[in-house]
Amino acid sequence: MIYVDAHTSDTYLNFGCEYYFATEKRLDDTVFMLWQTTPTVMVGKYQNALEEINAEYVEKSGINVVRRMSGGGAIYTDLGGWQYTFITPNSDKTIEFDKYIGPIIDAIKTLGITAKFNGRNDLIIDDKKFSGTAQYIHNGYTVHHGSLLFCTDIEEMVRSTTPSDQKIISKGIQSVRDRVTNIKDHLSTDISSEEFKKLIVDYIMGHKANEYVLTNEDKERISALADKHFRGWKNAFGSSPAFSLERSRRFEGGTVRFRFDVKKGIITNCKIDGDFFGTGIELIEKALIGTSYNKADISASLDKIADEISIYRIDKNDLVSAAID
Amino acid sequence: MKEKITMPKLSDRMEKGVLVAWDKNVGDEVKKGEVLFEVETNKVVNEIEAPCDGVITDVYFEEGDAVEVGKTIAEYEVK
Repeated sequence: MIYVDAHTSDTYLNFGCEYYFATEKRLDDTVFMLWQTTPTVMVGKYQNALEEINAEYVEKSGINVVRRMSGGGAIYTDLGGWQYTFITPNSDKTIEFDKYIGPIIDAIKTLGITAKFNGRNDLIIDDKKFSGTAQYIHNGYTVHHGSLLFCTDIEEMVRSTTPSDQKIISKGIQSVRDRVTNIKDHLSTDISSEEFKKLIVDYIMGHKANEYVLTNEDKERISALADKHFRGWKNAFGSSPAFSLERSRRFEGGTVRFRFDVKKGIITNCKIDGDFFGTGIELIEKALIGTSYNKADISASLDKIADEISIYRIDKNDLVSAAID
Repeated sequence: MKEKITMPKLSDRMEKGVLVAWDKNVGDEVKKGEVLFEVETNKVVNEIEAPCDGVITDVYFEEGDAVEVGKTIAEYEVK
């Protein structure tokens, strides 16, 4: 086992580092990483990011959004938690979870905590989840990664991964609190997040100082891979599978309903109807086709035709909020 | 000679996999080891590679379809 530390809490660089050891710097032995991120929502490779996150809250709060190469659902991570990764040669291309999760359960046991594997690839303490895991298998290498909630902000987790309706959020926080737990809450003796990291790394590595230190050349490649495959709107949202959505909102001037088809993050079809009074509706539909389904781009496309649209008591900002928020 | 590509059984408990992405289309020439399509099962994304050189002649499932283990997903003419 070889330990690699990218020494960064930049989400994209850590994902870039994983990808680097799976695709370019392919070592014969298993690479182990334990890393942190600033607040981030991570969606599965083939999830519709727009359905999984509260885009408005995430944008307003400066929370990163990243699309993993692995499967599974959306998770929230912050500096209160840790992510672990095993990157290993896998010539028979089969899926195995136990060999990665077993050592993590054993490491946590040294803290006096009995964790279990729940069969959905989650780790639980007293039926509450504190870790989710996922994998991707690429060109003969398996990347297995998982989250460990140590003292993560559960309320932020719910706010960033549920729709914006305040009632849903309040209920969501309670419901997630019932199902999710932080490791720190189960410790008989308090330890810091850094002490927790050292304990896990020492346990997994068996106190052997078998560390691969990243060279400047490695770091450059990692940064390039992070930019190409993980950073930015296109990677996070533009890779979503095709989907259709319908949204409507009521204003003083009437209800506006949008129907969109979105493919790879771009609006491919748009229909608007409702009980409002106005002109230029076809122009709006036309202007939005080809626009990226995000607030800034929708707003910019509407600005271009602002002079040609007139809707009674519904302005451009209303239209944007009806289309996306 | 035609070869069938079926949904592989990637783990003991796998019964179905979701065909999440096609990397190739009908008519494409593929080299052994090239990725044909991707399957997601049990939070794992797997690349399914061509077992030998050939040309894809038929595909039976679309992106997003859940396919039972053993079902034919595509056929191709072996070169």
